[in-house]
Amino acid sequence: MKTFVINLDKCVGCYNCQIACKDEHVENDWTPYAKPQPDTGHFWMKIIEMERGSIPKVKLTHIPMPCMHCDDAPCIPACPVKAIYKRPDGLVIIDPGKCNGCKACIDACPYGAIYFNSQLNIAQKCTGCAHILDGKADIPPDVPLNVPRCVNDCPSEAIKFGEEDELRDLIAKAEVLHPEYGTKPRVYYLNLPKPFIAGDVYDPEADECIQGATVTAVDLSTGRTFSATTDEFGDFWLKNLEWNKVYQVTIEHPRYMKKVLGAIATTKDINLGSIPLYKKT
Amino acid sequence: MSELTLSRRDFLKTSAVLGAAFVASTQAPVESLLREIKPEEAEQIKASAGEVKVIFTGLGLCGCGRSGAPSLIFVKNGRIIRITSARYDMKYKPEEFNYDAWTIEARGKTFKPSLKAMNAPFATAARKRIYSPNRIKYPLKRVDFDPNAPPDKRNQANRGKSGYVRISWDEALDIIVKEIKRIKETYGTSAILTAGVVHGYSKTISAHYKVADFLMKCIGQWTEEIRNPDSWEGWYWGAKHVWGEQFLGYSLTDNAFLDTLQNSDLVIYWAGDPETTSWMNVTGEGATDFHFWLREAGIRIISICPDQNWTAAIHADKWIPVQPNTDAALMLAIAYVWITEGTYDKQYVDTHTYGFDKFKAYVLGEEDGIPKTPKWAEQICGVPARIIKALARTWASKRTSIAHYLGGPMIRGPYSTEPARLEALLLAMQGLGKPGVRVTKGGKPITTFVPPPFIPFVEPPLPLGAPQMFPRTLTPTAILKAPITWYGSAAFGAPASDQFKKYEFPVDGYSEIHMIWDLCGCHITCYDGGEMVDAFRSPKIEFILGQQPWLETDMYFADIILPVCTVFELEDVNTGGGNFTLIYYMPKAIEPLWESKSDYDIVCTIAEKLGPAIGIPDLLDKYTGGMNLEQRLREVFEVFYKASPYISWEDFKQKQYWVCPIDPRWKEVPPAWEWYWKLPEGSGLTTPTGKIEFYSTGIAENLPNDKERPPVPHYIPYGETWQESKLHPRAKQYSLLLVSNHPRWRVHAHGDDISWINEIPTARIRGPDGYLYHPVWIHPIDAGKRGIKHGDIVKVYNDRGVVLGAAYVTERMIPGAVSMDHGARLDPISIDEKIDRGGNINLLMPRKPWNPYRKGYDPFMCVSGYLVEVEKVDINELKQKYPEAFNRPYDPAAGLVADAWIKR
Repeated sequence: MKTFVINLDKCVGCYNCQIACKDEHVENDWTPYAKPQPDTGHFWMKIIEMERGSIPKVKLTHIPMPCMHCDDAPCIPACPVKAIYKRPDGLVIIDPGKCNGCKACIDACPYGAIYFNSQLNIAQKCTGCAHILDGKADIPPDVPLNVPRCVNDCPSEAIKFGEEDELRDLIAKAEVLHPEYGTKPRVYYLNLPKPFIAGDVYDPEADECIQGATVTAVDLSTGRTFSATTDEFGDFWLKNLEWNKVYQVTIEHPRYMKKVLGAIATTKDINLGSIPLYKKT
Repeated sequence: MSELTLSRRDFLKTSAVLGAAFVASTQAPVESLLREIKPEEAEQIKASAGEVKVIFTGLGLCGCGRSGAPSLIFVKNGRIIRITSARYDMKYKPEEFNYDAWTIEARGKTFKPSLKAMNAPFATAARKRIYSPNRIKYPLKRVDFDPNAPPDKRNQANRGKSGYVRISWDEALDIIVKEIKRIKETYGTSAILTAGVVHGYSKTISAHYKVADFLMKCIGQWTEEIRNPDSWEGWYWGAKHVWGEQFLGYSLTDNAFLDTLQNSDLVIYWAGDPETTSWMNVTGEGATDFHFWLREAGIRIISICPDQNWTAAIHADKWIPVQPNTDAALMLAIAYVWITEGTYDKQYVDTHTYGFDKFKAYVLGEEDGIPKTPKWAEQICGVPARIIKALARTWASKRTSIAHYLGGPMIRGPYSTEPARLEALLLAMQGLGKPGVRVTKGGKPITTFVPPPFIPFVEPPLPLGAPQMFPRTLTPTAILKAPITWYGSAAFGAPASDQFKKYEFPVDGYSEIHMIWDLCGCHITCYDGGEMVDAFRSPKIEFILGQQPWLETDMYFADIILPVCTVFELEDVNTGGGNFTLIYYMPKAIEPLWESKSDYDIVCTIAEKLGPAIGIPDLLDKYTGGMNLEQRLREVFEVFYKASPYISWEDFKQKQYWVCPIDPRWKEVPPAWEWYWKLPEGSGLTTPTGKIEFYSTGIAENLPNDKERPPVPHYIPYGETWQESKLHPRAKQYSLLLVSNHPRWRVHAHGDDISWINEIPTARIRGPDGYLYHPVWIHPIDAGKRGIKHGDIVKVYNDRGVVLGAAYVTERMIPGAVSMDHGARLDPISIDEKIDRGGNINLLMPRKPWNPYRKGYDPFMCVSGYLVEVEKVDINELKQKYPEAFNRPYDPAAGLVADAWIKR
């Protein structure tokens, strides 16, 4: 069964995957896999761009999202004319010949992966480039293109695609988006964004950065602790915290008076800014 | 809701949809996978697969003439259906090109490049350029251009306003031949300026940037535009006086990437953005590889720039925001820390440099009473003093290299000569050339076969030797203000001493400019935009011949426009590649669309008719050397590439590319500057002393009183030549500094019409009026002060013009500065008042100044770091005042369309 494993640490935000998908499907008819995609407005592979934090502690994360090709795809039962099916290799296809344009699948998909083509009056989405996998894509035999377009055109190989067995080791470390939807997506992610609490620590009297301060964040509900040490710029990044938790942050250094900050809620990534510490007498 | 919630589409709950009793079969019914087909259908399917042609070629975006982005072009029934990244090992086994030798061992890790091309998004979207609604389909004539009217009465002032009508090729050629003949007889052909710009798809025989020059050379005289060092300005005009020529003044970087991976602890990206700029050059997306390797090797990356550019955002461990044009102050403060704390390489400075004492005196405040302390710098550059100290200390304590791949806002602003020089000097203070200490960038090994970088008909950056020439940055000045003088040719590779040489235009016995031949030019949006608008519309310019595939930028000002085909519609050869060096045979993928022809074919067609008319009956033969295209391509392959010993011409055509083998001894090439560091005493540089000069002796000798580029580099906020600083009174009216980078989503001026790219949020923002505006990056504080929200239509303006954009409110911009990439297409609201809707920010850049110290016009290209103001704009007010401009046909996905300018 085919699986995607997408490593966000390797995604540079070039949008090649989003564009390659359009290059493959706009003005190209791959019936019975898919009819042409409209020139704009559809994002069968879409990039979610997240700007996180605040100046100068800003991170940019891009999340490529194809169709999840769910094992319990809600679009399939939602379709009144049984146009949507799951192949033996796991890819979920909307048969363009059978689709009646009722949009029930679009409403059913919790990932927003399905789009409506108002010219052709059909629902459309990522096919996992099944036409390429099946050798029905007008690709001569000696030409090395046998993976989905997003995979072929990703310059940093952030998107891996293949048999679940072969990707087993990566899948073991990966997670899916919104597991609580219960649809059993076949697209796995490595390094999904987790919130950070960052900042820098300085001595206003000496006008120097404070290196070697220990910064600790404690989850006030569970007691789980995260810590980091400030570097030569006084910078700290408490990484891979948990979303929507409330933390108390403590900053300690043997020569300075302790500082406690809180409560800090990780509804978004936090930059605490520049935090002054004062020398112990 | 967590940050993972899509803002653009709602994730709907599924439980309501799935009824409890519903058991869905998720297996496809077998009949939808298999269907019975008749034998004839099977034959048809086999036959139609055979109709697909796949070409391996390089898309060559910019690349100084070379072709990066190795791609596979799929053609079916005469139409390109797909363009995708190629694999280098498609037709050759990796061992055939010594793939194993392209391995780096560093820090206990092994680094090897991918065998797949790492193409940039413009390569993947290239189909949208080929079939763009912006393509010029047939020859066009400006509606109010009458070639029979007196030359100064051709409605020159309407260029940029008038539309075009279709004419036949015959009519176009008649006009062109008559005009060139008339100009030759009236002024001599030195009155003709060739203005081809190398940006865009690279070719060799059909290289648009030089095809016209070669014709004019056959005719005898013309005026040539010298390609200025537009991405390297500060280094060229500044750093050359510190460490010698280095071709562009930018440091050589041979095997620097190998040294960095093995020896550097810290890499500082000073204003460079290779995650973006490498896209447009030979290497496709190559820099991405290098950045991941740096991270894997545990090398720290710090980015210093006013905007958190893409390299900074994706790869850097730390972003230090800095005010535009204040890098010199920051650099001086770093030197101050090193000097006062004794943390620089005193030995190296003693033996390998000249004039340190004078530099030290300036830094310590002995020259002007102002010690260049971190506290002093903080007020100017916006970096807190404590961070400056920490940066200086960590830099000194680690093996640190500086990386660029083009210098972004540091190198193309007012007085950028000074930070460029200071960068070289800071490296010298830490022993430039020792392991881990140099200028670095992503690179690749040398090959056993090396295709020549520049060959005679291409040579994009080098002048061909017209009797008159001037730097492209002075083109409008030369046209409008002739006679002019300036210092320094601006030519690639010219020695530093050339900058003390006086040049003049016109040259005795030759003419001012009266005709411009513009080949895929983008002066309007990449160079001195506002001044070029004036120059194009000057009554002195009696005829403008334009040729380009797309009706954009400079073409709005042409009198006759000839349709050029894209690189996919012609046959050529080229060199280039990404992680590997290739030579390509580039067959035609499709026939030229509509009535378009290649630039080379166009010039041949002109030569054939023009020759007899001007008394050179064999002009075409002279131009082609009596060879047809196949012969010319073969000549490149055999005589200039000298590739025949390695692969036959027939094999080359059949395989369409050849990978130059990695030289197994590539690691023996010492990294740049190592030879110099190893000398017991520095000598052998092309500076007057032979050493790295803290005190530029050439400047001291030739221009000792130049306050704006003194012998010792200074921090210069403003002066006689440029007044673009927050410290200057102009800042009361224009309170923000504009940063203009090499664009993320275009190759200079190319690709603005790609609908798929326009859907990217940082590429274009759709305004409430449906128009795709260019983003203007602005920090929430500056936006808040001006009542601006994300997506609002704003005007960016100063005393030179007004450019509209859409606010992109972001934390990735330092407060006090805004950012708008260069290269957007002009969409004039008013040409007379220089009001633009398309985002053509170069309308606002400073005009070419008269430099009182050098007593000549200053060719320096100042496209970034100048004062502007930003305000919300009432688009309806503008619509009412300029109804015509707002009623032009417009494609909601691609933007401007050629039809908007063509009258029926």
